[in-house]
Amino acid sequence: MSVQLLDRELDRLEGLWSDGLSETYGSYLDAVGHFDPEMQPKLALAAALIEAGVRLQGLGGRAAPPTTLLIGDLCLARGSRLLADNAPLAVQVAFARAIETASSAAAAGQPAPALRQLLRQSLGATR
Amino acid sequence: MSHRLDFVTTHATEFVDLTDRIRDEVRRAGLRNGRVHMQSLHTTLGLAINENEPLLLHDFESLLDRLAPAGAGYEHDDFARRFEVPLDEPANGHAHCRQLLLSAFATLMVEEGDLVLGRWQSMFAVELDGPRQRQVALQLDGEFARSDEQVSLEALVELELARQLMVDPEPVASPMRRLVGLRPKLVQLTAGIGPRSDPLRAAELAAAVELLHNATLIHDDYVDESTHRRGRPTVAAAEGPERAIAVGDYYFAKATRLIAQIGNGGVTSALAEALEAVCASQIDDVAMRGSYPGDRDSYMRVIRGKTASLFAAACESGALLSGAAPDVVDALGRFGVLLGTAFQMADDMVDFSPSSGKPVGLDIRQRVLSLPLIYAAEDRVVGPEVRRLLAGALGDAEVGRVAELVTASGALPRVRQEAKGLIDAAVRELDAVELDGLRPALAGLALSAVDRIS
Repeated sequence: MSVQLLDRELDRLEGLWSDGLSETYGSYLDAVGHFDPEMQPKLALAAALIEAGVRLQGLGGRAAPPTTLLIGDLCLARGSRLLADNAPLAVQVAFARAIETASSAAAAGQPAPALRQLLRQSLGATR
Repeated sequence: MSHRLDFVTTHATEFVDLTDRIRDEVRRAGLRNGRVHMQSLHTTLGLAINENEPLLLHDFESLLDRLAPAGAGYEHDDFARRFEVPLDEPANGHAHCRQLLLSAFATLMVEEGDLVLGRWQSMFAVELDGPRQRQVALQLDGEFARSDEQVSLEALVELELARQLMVDPEPVASPMRRLVGLRPKLVQLTAGIGPRSDPLRAAELAAAVELLHNATLIHDDYVDESTHRRGRPTVAAAEGPERAIAVGDYYFAKATRLIAQIGNGGVTSALAEALEAVCASQIDDVAMRGSYPGDRDSYMRVIRGKTASLFAAACESGALLSGAAPDVVDALGRFGVLLGTAFQMADDMVDFSPSSGKPVGLDIRQRVLSLPLIYAAEDRVVGPEVRRLLAGALGDAEVGRVAELVTASGALPRVRQEAKGLIDAAVRELDAVELDGLRPALAGLALSAVDRIS
């Protein structure tokens, strides 16, 4: 990923990169190979930010402390903006549905589905 | 449409400039083209149109004094010759005679939502026997800005919200049933501007914006440890933080999906960018609490992101959806920023109003960013005590004392003035662009945002 992209997209979130976000990002790279090369890092980063955001918030588990929740919210919002600016409509919708699935399960006190799997499937959505 | 303007005079003779208040009434009513009729409801209060120049007003006062001097032997003041004279009847024959020289009525024309007045003309109520409590009756007639359509647009967004919540799982849907706020109204109005106006799609977008806003509030309430919002327990207080996080996430995701499904890339990007600004500013807001109450520059930076960005995006996204021209979209974005900032300032002031229905001082207790508090803390007289109290633990006594000091400091009128100035600036942003006749409705909505502090 280009340094410029990282600089912009990790503003305020730099600490997360060395704290696991880098590995999370890497785990999505093989799921974005079918997109334009320019889009691939942006979409992998979007997925990684959303996964990290949900983890930081403590969704489906113990609630994060307020300041950590806010960092998680920012991760979700930034991932969402990356998708809005770069992803096809079908992928944007699939990502949103994945979060809806995870959060409604959490709200009902049911076991959360594996988010990474849902997000990887979302990256392959075509309709 | 009828209304009354109430005001208090402080001098025996006084020229009260009502121009801005009448202009506000025209905007609030959404009168596009027509007339404002005014009638004094008193026999010693006249109406006049002239120039608001202090020396000239003094000339008028001298003229009235020469034409009908006080104590010049008026028969009306000879109480012995009158029947049923009240005990507090003043000797004011001169005031009645002066009123005869003026008029009790006036009519102003309205074109394109604004008063038709010459450069130097102002509308005065002329007090002739003050100081007193006074009232002028107003009637507005003519062509109003789509009032029926506005009502049906609101109904449309409420139906759309109800439709969206109906299909959601009950654990997430139940906390979201709230009244529709200002942001969806902005979406709907601005979505009527361009050539591709579509009320149904506008209602879908407006409902999604409202869900997005409420999603952010649900997380905010947990962060701020708020127990109530709009008179109802918050999700965090009623059902715990875990549930609040889940419900907030669900509606964040659902709103972004609904926005994406509308299929307008510009709209999706504008709202995604605004949401990011909201989240980033919320972090700044919490960080500022270490140096509470902070300073004005930091305050403006935080509310620009936390509140104003979504107002701006609501205005821009409606206009984008309707295919409005880029200069219109930009102007509406600037309008939204100014309106959102004024809205937040008005919201801050509600914390000091016993009649708001919200406990006075709640923001102080929760150390929420507040411009009146910042101004009071900077005040030369009360500032040291405000800062000392805020530096310690805030029990009922301390919160009450801080609220008293803020009220005594003059901070509230200063914030009120600033908010009204922002609304005026917001409305001016609309002057240079073609809005398909929606300018009065947008101006009326902007004024309503600060009405609660009038």
